[in-house]
Amino acid sequence: MQWSELEKEVIRCIKCGACQSVCPVFRELKAESTVARGKINLIRAVIRGDVDAAGAGFEERMSWCLMCKACQESCPSGVKLDQLMLAARRKLAEDKGLPLLKRLIFRLGLKNRRLFDLGMSMGSVFQGLVLRPAPGGKGMLPRLPMGLDMRRLVSPVDARPFRSRVPAVVAVDNPRKTVAFFTGCMINYVYPQIGEAVVEVLKRNGVAVVIPADQHCCGTPVYVNGDVPTAVELARATVDTLADLEVDAVITACGSCGAALRKEYAALLADEPGYAAKVAALAAKTKDFAEFLAEVGLTAEMRGLAATATYHDSCHLARSQGVRRQPRQLIAGVPGLTFKELKAPARCCGAAGSFSLAHYDLSRSINDHKVDDIAASGADTVVTGCPMCMMHIRDGMNQRGVAGEVLHTAELLARAYKDEK
Amino acid sequence: MEQAVVAAVKGIVGAEHVLEKYEDRYCYTYDASAVTAGKEGMPALVVYPGSAAEVSALLKLANEHRFPVIPRGAGSNVSGGSIPCAGALVMVLTRLNKIVAIDRKNMVAEVEAGVITADFQTEVEKLGLFYPPDPASKAFSTMGGNVAECAGGPRGAKYGVTRDYVLGLEVVLPTGEIIKTGARTMKCVAGYDLTRLMTGSEGTLGVVTKAIVKLLPLPEAKKTMLAIFDDVEKAAETVAQVFMAGVIPTTLELLDNIYIRNIEAAVNIGLPVEAEAVLLIEVDGDAAVLDKQVGIIARICREQGATEVKVAKDAKEADELWVARRSAFAAVSRVRPTIIGEDCTVPRDKIPEMVRTIRAIADKYNIIIAVLGHAGDGNLHATILTDERDKEEMARVEKAAEEIFAATLAVDGTLTGEHGIGLVKKKYLPLELGEGGMLAMRAIKKALDPNNILNPELV
Repeated sequence: MQWSELEKEVIRCIKCGACQSVCPVFRELKAESTVARGKINLIRAVIRGDVDAAGAGFEERMSWCLMCKACQESCPSGVKLDQLMLAARRKLAEDKGLPLLKRLIFRLGLKNRRLFDLGMSMGSVFQGLVLRPAPGGKGMLPRLPMGLDMRRLVSPVDARPFRSRVPAVVAVDNPRKTVAFFTGCMINYVYPQIGEAVVEVLKRNGVAVVIPADQHCCGTPVYVNGDVPTAVELARATVDTLADLEVDAVITACGSCGAALRKEYAALLADEPGYAAKVAALAAKTKDFAEFLAEVGLTAEMRGLAATATYHDSCHLARSQGVRRQPRQLIAGVPGLTFKELKAPARCCGAAGSFSLAHYDLSRSINDHKVDDIAASGADTVVTGCPMCMMHIRDGMNQRGVAGEVLHTAELLARAYKDEK
Repeated sequence: MEQAVVAAVKGIVGAEHVLEKYEDRYCYTYDASAVTAGKEGMPALVVYPGSAAEVSALLKLANEHRFPVIPRGAGSNVSGGSIPCAGALVMVLTRLNKIVAIDRKNMVAEVEAGVITADFQTEVEKLGLFYPPDPASKAFSTMGGNVAECAGGPRGAKYGVTRDYVLGLEVVLPTGEIIKTGARTMKCVAGYDLTRLMTGSEGTLGVVTKAIVKLLPLPEAKKTMLAIFDDVEKAAETVAQVFMAGVIPTTLELLDNIYIRNIEAAVNIGLPVEAEAVLLIEVDGDAAVLDKQVGIIARICREQGATEVKVAKDAKEADELWVARRSAFAAVSRVRPTIIGEDCTVPRDKIPEMVRTIRAIADKYNIIIAVLGHAGDGNLHATILTDERDKEEMARVEKAAEEIFAATLAVDGTLTGEHGIGLVKKKYLPLELGEGGMLAMRAIKKALDPNNILNPELV
């Protein structure tokens, strides 16, 4: 791939500047080079020969994007900034290599004390994304070839992965529907309790759940960092595992996994022979947990919850998948609960997967606005549909001393269903 | 720029408010116009001053060391007016972002240059007041930039442009003096009208750091309507007829079929994609008289041949139409990647003739020109849809633009109603001003900016 291949998309940006009013990164950094218009013009400059793509300055600016798609939503020309960012990162990864894990852990983690401290508290998260259990229970191995030697053994995560806690088939009497649950890494390794809540709520509402054992990472973490070959491999594996299942729907409970299965695989696997139909079938079948539940309706009665809850729109759930109404509808339907809308519920929380590891300070200041908004809302419970957002918002509230719980939509509902206090 | 000068600049604004990296500076070689300075016009530094005093100190330094200074707001201007020349210092004024005061009793407000226009409007509207200028870029453009470019907008038909609301300014002159122009009063004839001189001076005569603006009472209500035509000339004819009937609409926007189709593709709200043209009309004011005004306008539209006149039934429908209109300019970039928006303005009764001329010119040069206009004030945005990579076509575009300018001046129009001259139309300005006019302007520039520091390439 040549840089010039991006020109067709790049010149569609008329440089109007509308992206300035919505970009969370620009809001913090203020420099024109950090907003969509600037990044697009830097790619244009590479094509023109004015900027060296091999330079650190260019690569750094291409990394300053949360992929939150706010600019795309406000761009009347319909410039696909996320596709441009991915293409640029892919090109950089091809040209310069991508020692991701090394870069994240050694260069950023160890160099930055605050990040290192966080790394300790988030250790299991990070491992979950990039490590897999080694045979014989001796530790963890890198899940993906992301810069670490694949044979290098590192310390194990504490949590027992979700998929080892539940049976592969959760049956119910007279099921109304049968679904497959794509757990994703965060739920499997870091927040198994979300997975348990998903299964619990579905079960109570007469939905049987199949949890395919051989599912893998959806590929988003590597995809957004430009490692396309690995992402293709993971996407193919996911499609192979899920596309042919005889179920009414494939459920995701992570905004990013859902976006990958429903939207991104089509482009990612466009050149893979024999995959087009399977990708389309999977995309059509995949539904977010909240979306699916709102659609089939709740049949089981809730005990209720005394809480004041608000909702944070995950970028990948709200913008990529268009799921905004359904989670609110479910939350507001909990007896005894008061729902309060945030001022800017759809503004990115700053997590953006590995972005928050690579640019921890920046992701923190973006998150501060979210935390302020939460504090001003008077809610004691923040609900969202993305485990990554949960982790980041929790961290932010903790650091800023803002009290309150952060729950996944499924966890809130599971609580409302719990029989005794 | 010498290291000592760079150090001095950092001493003035603080190192954290200076951008030095190549990639960062490169992103200030363009604005929202179709021109760009590229590598050849790289600024030496980009700085974000935090006060008029810092702006003053920077300009004094510039005079001492003779480097050019390019003031800039959000860079959303479409004239090429904030594009630097090599070695310049780009001065971004977005840190000056305070609404200093909103004086409800006297209906004036004082704002710093970097305040976002739409944010300011929201604040005054909370108090039942109204700041009418509404450039399409208002969600991100700055008040200082609006003053410097004398920005217009769709509401111009009834309410005029930025100039009509600026009572006074704080301006840093090119040599560094901080001056105040005008007053906080509705009337002021003390000395030359420097406020008007500075408003629309495109960053060549001074750096606007603060503005005192006039406010109006927020109109009680408004009604928005869409008149659909099967012929663009019928729509154009209707414009003058509406005013002649004694109704002054807030807005009277003309959109041709190319715009209609592409806006619909962008926002999908059910615009009539088969229509040759639509007029988007809004009236505002006392709720009791709006229905009467809508009735008169609807009657005239039908008499002039409108196939349908629709009145938005609620605020949501009206909002949708406005979202559609605001996305127009960028939406047509779906047709061809490069868009060049002209903003020739003609007397209202010459609009049909001008629309005809623009279409003939498009045919002659075999290029696509979409037409949209704040037709209510004669401001036509002939929008050339092209591809900057096609050199041969770009040559035809250039010729077509020249013919449009000549035709505009031939019917007593002006080269620009609201975008400004900038780098984009610099070479055509003598056509409108004549030799004497140019001399007068250059004399003013020379008097205020003897060393030609401020935005020197523009004059």
